[in-house]
Amino acid sequence: MSLFSALSVSASGMAAQRARAAVLVENIANSETTRTTEGGPYRRKDAIFSSEDVSSAFGSELDAQLGGEQLTGVKVSGISVDNTPPEKRYLPGHPDADADGYVSMPKVNPAEDMVDLMSANRSYQANVSAMSAVKDMIQKSIDLLR
Amino acid sequence: MIDSLTDSLEQYMNVVSLRQKLVTSNIANADTPGYKTQDLDFQASFQSALDGGAPQSAEVTGLATKNDGNNVDLDREARLLAENAMRFSAASNLMRSQLNTVKEAIQGGKSS
Repeated sequence: MSLFSALSVSASGMAAQRARAAVLVENIANSETTRTTEGGPYRRKDAIFSSEDVSSAFGSELDAQLGGEQLTGVKVSGISVDNTPPEKRYLPGHPDADADGYVSMPKVNPAEDMVDLMSANRSYQANVSAMSAVKDMIQKSIDLLR
Repeated sequence: MIDSLTDSLEQYMNVVSLRQKLVTSNIANADTPGYKTQDLDFQASFQSALDGGAPQSAEVTGLATKNDGNNVDLDREARLLAENAMRFSAASNLMRSQLNTVKEAIQGGKSS
């Protein structure tokens, strides 16, 4: 039973939250983008989280030998793309306007993405706290050797 | 190893660190849809560890489940995180004083 695997769990949480934050800022940055390489306006993206068994880089073999239990980390299992029809906005002078003067705009609500971004930020901080608590415990065990 | 107290302390630190690992898993999965909070019954686990058994983790009941099926309560996990860290610190200080006693006996009571 090594505490080092707990560090891998917190690290997986931090990586997942950072990936989520990256997707969210992409949404905010592209909230007015009408041209993409796939054609049409930008489509809102979201990170999908799923649980994943974590093994620490070195400890996995050792833990297996010692009969250590599996710990559950988290990973981004995919990015979902919002495929609902885009929002139509009446902008007759816009270069991407259709014959009726409507432009297809991304369906991104910046307020929603900002709130999600704050949530990702807080979750990231929670993982950092967990990691530092575990780190202190490991340090205390090491100090027993002095 | 040295006496029954250090053995008990060792098992105690094992159970506390196992619980801390479950807490870090819960925090990492705070936004994972469908994830259920995992924890262990401290008293029962410690007792079984003293008797040479393995502690069992289980899903926690009685927590509010969110719309995505996740029931991690971050406040609860933060509390347990701090609690486990302090329990571990107390145990490791006790362990250190036990080891120092033995060290002193080895050195024949000479200082340093």
